[in-house]
Amino acid sequence: MATLTAKEARALADRILSFSRVEECEVTIEARESAHTRFAASDVTTAGIATTLALTITSRKRGKSGTVQVSETDPASLERAVRRSEEILGLAPESPEWVEELGPQTYPAIEAFDAATAAAGPEMRRDGAAAAIEAARGASLAASGFFSTDITSSAIANRKGLFGFQRATEASFSTTMRTPDGTGSGWAGRTATRLADLKTGEIAATAAKKALASAKPKDLEPGRYTVLLEPQAVADLLGTMIGGLQARAADEGRSVFSKPGGGNRVGEKVFAEMVTLRSDPFDARVPGRPWIVPLGFGGGGGGAFGAGAQNQGLPAARVTWVEKGTLRNLSVDRYWARKTNAPPVPYPGSLILEGGSGTLDDLVASCTRGLIVTRFWYIRTLNPQTLQQTGLTRDGVWLVEKGKIVAPVNNFRFNDGPATLLRNVEAMSASVRAGRMVVPAVRARDFNMASRSDAV
Amino acid sequence: MGRTRREFLATCGAGAALWAGSRLIPREILVSPLEAEEIPPDRVRELAAFALDRAKKAGATYADIRINRYRTQLVTLRSQPDFASGALNHVPSINETGTFGFGVRVIAAGAWGFSGRHLVTKDAVAAAVKEAVAIARADAPLRREPVRLAKVGAFTDAYRTPVKQDPFAVTVGDKLEFLRGLNSEIKKVDEIFSANGTIALRRESRFFASSEGSRIEQEVVHTSSELTATAVEKGRKTKSRTYRPHAVAAGWEAVERARYADHARRIAEEAVAHLKAPSVDPGTKDLVLMPSHLGLTIHESLGHSTELDRALGYEADLAGTTFLTPDKLGKFRVGSDLVNVNGDRVRPESLSTCGWDDDGVKTRQFPLFKKGIFSGYQTIRDQAHLIGQEESTGCCYADSYASVPFQRMPNVWLEPAQEPVSLDDLVSGVDEGILIDGRGSWSIDQQRYNFQFGGDVFWEIKGGKVGRMLADVAYQSRTPDFWQACDGLGGDATWENVGLQNDGKGQPQQVNAMSHGCPPARFRRVNVLRTE
Repeated sequence: MATLTAKEARALADRILSFSRVEECEVTIEARESAHTRFAASDVTTAGIATTLALTITSRKRGKSGTVQVSETDPASLERAVRRSEEILGLAPESPEWVEELGPQTYPAIEAFDAATAAAGPEMRRDGAAAAIEAARGASLAASGFFSTDITSSAIANRKGLFGFQRATEASFSTTMRTPDGTGSGWAGRTATRLADLKTGEIAATAAKKALASAKPKDLEPGRYTVLLEPQAVADLLGTMIGGLQARAADEGRSVFSKPGGGNRVGEKVFAEMVTLRSDPFDARVPGRPWIVPLGFGGGGGGAFGAGAQNQGLPAARVTWVEKGTLRNLSVDRYWARKTNAPPVPYPGSLILEGGSGTLDDLVASCTRGLIVTRFWYIRTLNPQTLQQTGLTRDGVWLVEKGKIVAPVNNFRFNDGPATLLRNVEAMSASVRAGRMVVPAVRARDFNMASRSDAV
Repeated sequence: MGRTRREFLATCGAGAALWAGSRLIPREILVSPLEAEEIPPDRVRELAAFALDRAKKAGATYADIRINRYRTQLVTLRSQPDFASGALNHVPSINETGTFGFGVRVIAAGAWGFSGRHLVTKDAVAAAVKEAVAIARADAPLRREPVRLAKVGAFTDAYRTPVKQDPFAVTVGDKLEFLRGLNSEIKKVDEIFSANGTIALRRESRFFASSEGSRIEQEVVHTSSELTATAVEKGRKTKSRTYRPHAVAAGWEAVERARYADHARRIAEEAVAHLKAPSVDPGTKDLVLMPSHLGLTIHESLGHSTELDRALGYEADLAGTTFLTPDKLGKFRVGSDLVNVNGDRVRPESLSTCGWDDDGVKTRQFPLFKKGIFSGYQTIRDQAHLIGQEESTGCCYADSYASVPFQRMPNVWLEPAQEPVSLDDLVSGVDEGILIDGRGSWSIDQQRYNFQFGGDVFWEIKGGKVGRMLADVAYQSRTPDFWQACDGLGGDATWENVGLQNDGKGQPQQVNAMSHGCPPARFRRVNVLRTE
């Protein structure tokens, strides 16, 4: 592997900080080696490796700040970058929402690195692609997909002596297989810290099975249906929930967790009794950073409405957002904590929805009538105050009647969302990792499939 | 190669056992970032020639290198009441990025290989070439046939976006002061909760050299800005209104000519009106869509559907395929006779405009729809032959030195009516309908059929006249049904060049910017939903 070691990261941070001439200077380092192989139409298409470095330097002085991000590491370029952050600081007005830079922190150790994944070469990715292409060929399908392995070295440091370092790996494999007549499409995919956990052959077999089983779908009218969402579909819907779990947006009346007229809904029953939603950076299934990383590009003011930028560098922690249907916590950045006399609460890096037991098959067996959904596509929020969304089903929808899968059906556009889903949930399987989330398959009633989609 | 592709595939089932394979580049030949040296601009050509020579010696039958520098600046000012005191807080945020690196692409043994790095040194270039060739050789046994490239000329030339006033030269302080004045004007309107002003700049300085003889320097500059007023009814509703002059390939002059001062108060008043507006009655209605809205509809339904890589299944795993399969080329009716749509990368001020694409192909204009008939694809060099074409249309782009170039959307624009039709003319022909301005939520399926779009603001049309504001509007249709329902376009005087940024595609995902010029247009009998 070729990303930075802790020693190199510290030396680089020290060099950057040595150029600083203002009271506060913070540096984050993200060195990444991303390798991938793409395949499509049952052929390898492109493959490559990218080694990148992002050095983000924020200079601060009494409420003013300037942030620059650079990639060049020669001393002259680094000094120019620090000077530029100080120059911006000099031009900026004071932010009324500024918080003081953190002092030294004690970060927990979070194991997120796998040496075998870091050592993976292009032959390994090619072989994964070959396995999918072969599985497709055996079933007269066309396979396309993506196989990637990433190594990331991250560091955070400031002039007050704060320092943190983590090295992490991530491997991801996904494939979509399509029938030659264009009426069937199946997808499967997995992301993991360890390459060995991907099980590419299993993924390819699932995609092939779904493609064949989804072909020649039966016409089904739009309407309200009980849905059996596979874990990826649940993760897709919960994506916008991450941004919704902010105390500030709720307190300001702009969120699904706002009370009409003012205040937030912490302590209120917001979802079904069986819903427990939490974040756990220590969970080995989806390990986080040892420190808080804000959403998006951290900086002086925190963007449009702030996205937890001021929490950058606080130690990672477990948070329970919703416990047995009751809202327990919302994320609170350091500025908002000061304003509302509350402790800071980390922004969720990922979500864990506590599941039940068993698998999707068990949810199917106890379902009178419903639709199995493989995954969703192109989800957009229609109303932030209800989290109502629109989006489409994709790569496999089946009708279930009296506990049995009876037929593949056409895709749908939905107008619904995660808040109503979690109110209408009836049963959940055991939770598994799906993308950056850990979620179960979910059965929920009255999901609004608003129109037919002809797409396959 | 000793084995056929089929034999190779047959032995891959137990691939896991082979995965202990070593990485290609041992650590000792990598350069530590701490040992980096500054690269003077005149060394770029020398390094490029070195890369191409190394690639040739390593057996590559084609190679190119892009050595690129990117600079971005994002200046925002959010103005809202203090939670405790209610006093107006102006919260600035300033972020700049400056990145530099190179990407080498090769064809060896008939397959592609790529390596991109942030360290631009001779050693790093040598290592990257070796790595790219090794990746290509690793994949070669899986290729069904060798990669083929459409013909291309050899160019030694340069292109620069025409810029009257360098937007990076306007100080951050002046930009924030400009936004502060506008936000303060918005906040004068009672019931406005917050005002947000944004200025975003991007400059790409690209150097491209290929084994086919090209040496091309380009500098592309994008300037965009917007202003948003937000009204909140606590815990019940939030409505925003945005003034967004079209993002352009140009300089600060684009911000100055946008006459922001004339619009700040208007958008504040419209945001408040939107908060109080009644919900739409759903049903089948006629629509008149302003260019600021229609640009995105064109992008999603006509832009993405005419991408050849989607038609070939290259994006099936994420972005999707398209309903416009190659058998429909030249035959299939998507729109009414009024619908004439072009792709191009040459139109002045358009965001995709440049001199050459990332394949080294000279950019040009080409038809996508003629009188409603599907007439062309967006293509790149390694795919043109798959639909029997000898030349690429020049749509290759990578969003970073570290990204693999692939087919990206050019500017895709709708021609205006040949007659001098005005917006009033379009509206006067509507008995019951809705006028939509600006972008709201948008979503379309992976084959580009079923879409549902909201907007930034909606007005009722009754008896040929624009009336009260409405809320919670979305329309849902199917691409061919929708464009065949187009029965009116504005004339040349109504045409606007709508810029769109942050279009995502690919694995790993890359972003792209392009423009979708169009006049206002009228569509008959479209399904309108209430999205409360």
